[in-house]
Amino acid sequence: MRAVVVYAWARSAAGAIVHADGGVEWRHARPVAGEDDPAAVAAALAVAGPDGDVVGLTLGDADASWALARGAARAVRVTDAPASDDEGVTAAVIAAGVRSVADVDVVVVGDSEEHPGVAAAVGARLGWPVVAGVVSAAPSGAGIEAVRRAGDVQETVVVTCPAVLGVAAEGAESRTPGMKEQLAARKRPVVTTTLAELGVDTLPAAVVAGGTRLPEQARTRVFEGEPEQTARQLVAALRAEGVL
Amino acid sequence: MSDDTWLLAAAGTHLKGAVAAARAAGGRVTVLAVGPRELADAAAAAAPDEVRWLETADDQPAEAWAAALAAEVAAAAPHVVLAPSDPASRTLLAAAAVPLGAALLTRVLTVRSQDDALVVDRSSLGGAVVETLTVQGPLAAVLEDADDAPPAAAPATVAPLAPAGAPVPMQVKREPLPGAAAGIRDAARVVSVGRGLRSKDDLALLDGLLAALGAELACSMPVADDLGWVPKERYVGRSGQHIAPRLYLALGISGMPQHLEGVRDAKVVAAVNNDPAAPIFRTADYGVVGDLYEVVPALVAALAE
Ligand SMILES: Cc1cc2nc3c(=O)[nH]c(=O)nc-3n(C[C@H](O)[C@H](O)[C@H](O)COP(=O)(O)OP(=O)(O)OC[C@H]3O[C@@H](n4cnc5c(N)ncnc54)[C@H](O)[C@@H]3O)c2cc1C
Ligand SMILES: Nc1ncnc2c1ncn2[C@@H]1O[C@H](COP(=O)(O)O)[C@@H](O)[C@H]1O
Repeated sequence: MRAVVVYAWARSAAGAIVHADGGVEWRHARPVAGEDDPAAVAAALAVAGPDGDVVGLTLGDADASWALARGAARAVRVTDAPASDDEGVTAAVIAAGVRSVADVDVVVVGDSEEHPGVAAAVGARLGWPVVAGVVSAAPSGAGIEAVRRAGDVQETVVVTCPAVLGVAAEGAESRTPGMKEQLAARKRPVVTTTLAELGVDTLPAAVVAGGTRLPEQARTRVFEGEPEQTARQLVAALRAEGVL
Repeated sequence: MSDDTWLLAAAGTHLKGAVAAARAAGGRVTVLAVGPRELADAAAAAAPDEVRWLETADDQPAEAWAAALAAEVAAAAPHVVLAPSDPASRTLLAAAAVPLGAALLTRVLTVRSQDDALVVDRSSLGGAVVETLTVQGPLAAVLEDADDAPPAAAPATVAPLAPAGAPVPMQVKREPLPGAAAGIRDAARVVSVGRGLRSKDDLALLDGLLAALGAELACSMPVADDLGWVPKERYVGRSGQHIAPRLYLALGISGMPQHLEGVRDAKVVAAVNNDPAAPIFRTADYGVVGDLYEVVPALVAALAE
């Protein structure tokens, strides 16, 4: 089976500084792969199987070797993709990148908490069925078996190929590639392409960003001081809330 | 394009909040419910103007209908289409966005019309900030699930929907999640520990507090996963349990977004942390700055008063 694994390359939200006025400073944020992308690579490798082929796909000035060091055999990078707030636009570029790879059976996209629309929109653009919120996947006959959780129910979804999986990580990456894998990655081919080569028209942005502010939700009531006093204050507050 | 708003729902949670968001977006509010009868009834109880219901077979995921429903939504041409954040609903939404020519935004808190545009507030950076965006033309938005407010009107009527298109072949098998029966799911009060606890033996420190509150014990992921001090089915968060107790008391938990996602539906979140800058003090309802080893006994004493 041939799997394309899509990975993001963006400034880490953990490195963003939120100022008291709600403005966000990105200066110290390093570019990293998406939080869910290691899990997406793992799922792509599992679905492709030992004889399969995993192709990495990324947009912008990503480090294309990121997926190669994790087991992808080659990578495609769309160099001039715009960063867009519209996840449909991101997905349209990703879908065009997928079409540039022949005979794809499955596309695996990180199903990120911050941008939970991308994976589903890639499927919509390709016209392929989508299973989002997936935590693990395996080949099953001519298709894929994907597992996800909904409340206290575990769902096993079987879908025929070609299909798109949105994979959500269950934790931080447990093992990062070692020196050997990184050196091997540098020998693997990276194809760079452009929107024009992919035949993607750049449309005028329909979404205009207008700044950030702090959420107006009631601020935390914080008690500071001696434990006996703060404990009493908290218990009184919880009694007043009627939750004790 | 009409001024109406559609809500695509494949899961029964957070529908009242979603219908309220749809009302604010304007026009006639139609819920398209894809699933069993109970889902259609839950949608009707949230009091939209109408519910269109597509019944799915027991082993058929709602997503099987994504393309067929997208055509139905495009034919109605609402200016806004919303969905709650569960995977099936947002898959239906993304499919509908394409034929509608709609921009796709997620983690959306509110949508309102202003002049000829739509003004959208979305949650960003794991909830640390609210971002305002202006959108020209139709919008497809995945909502940030909100507390369910009681509906303002009488239940809507439910009319069946028979899409012209066919479903794609997909099957789903549902089983109870292993470990889902753990006591914390139904508990009214939950006390949860994080890496602020120094050793497994120190869990004994919590016994008195658990007893005084009649609470169940939960924890953050590392306490269960890396340290193995508490059974795995008791950790809370994005990849753990999602719970809705009346009181969630977090002890020595920093408050990372992945953890807090598990208690988004708790009524009151209180936190004890010795770091005044801990992120949990930005999201909890109440906080005590202090050493949990001192505050826990003091809480037991205060509860006995
Ligand atoms: C994809 C992904 C999914 C994840 N899913 C989950 C999830 O489902 N659930 C989850 O919990 N995490 C999850 N995580 C991990 C999450 O990001 C955090 O790392 C984790 O929640 C931190 O746990 P903690 O708060 O116990 O530990 P820490 O972040 O180490 O915080 C410990 C806190 O204790 C305080 N403290 C220390 N000593 C004391 C003391 N004596 N008294 C009082 N306070 C003290 C410290 O000030 C600190 O704030 C996930 C991560 C990823 C990448
Ligand atoms: N610039 C990008 N390049 C490639 N993939 C992207 C990009 N932005 C988003 N994605 C994909 O969409 C998912 C969610 O986006 P994010 O929240 O940015 O991690 C990622 O896991 C990627 O698979």
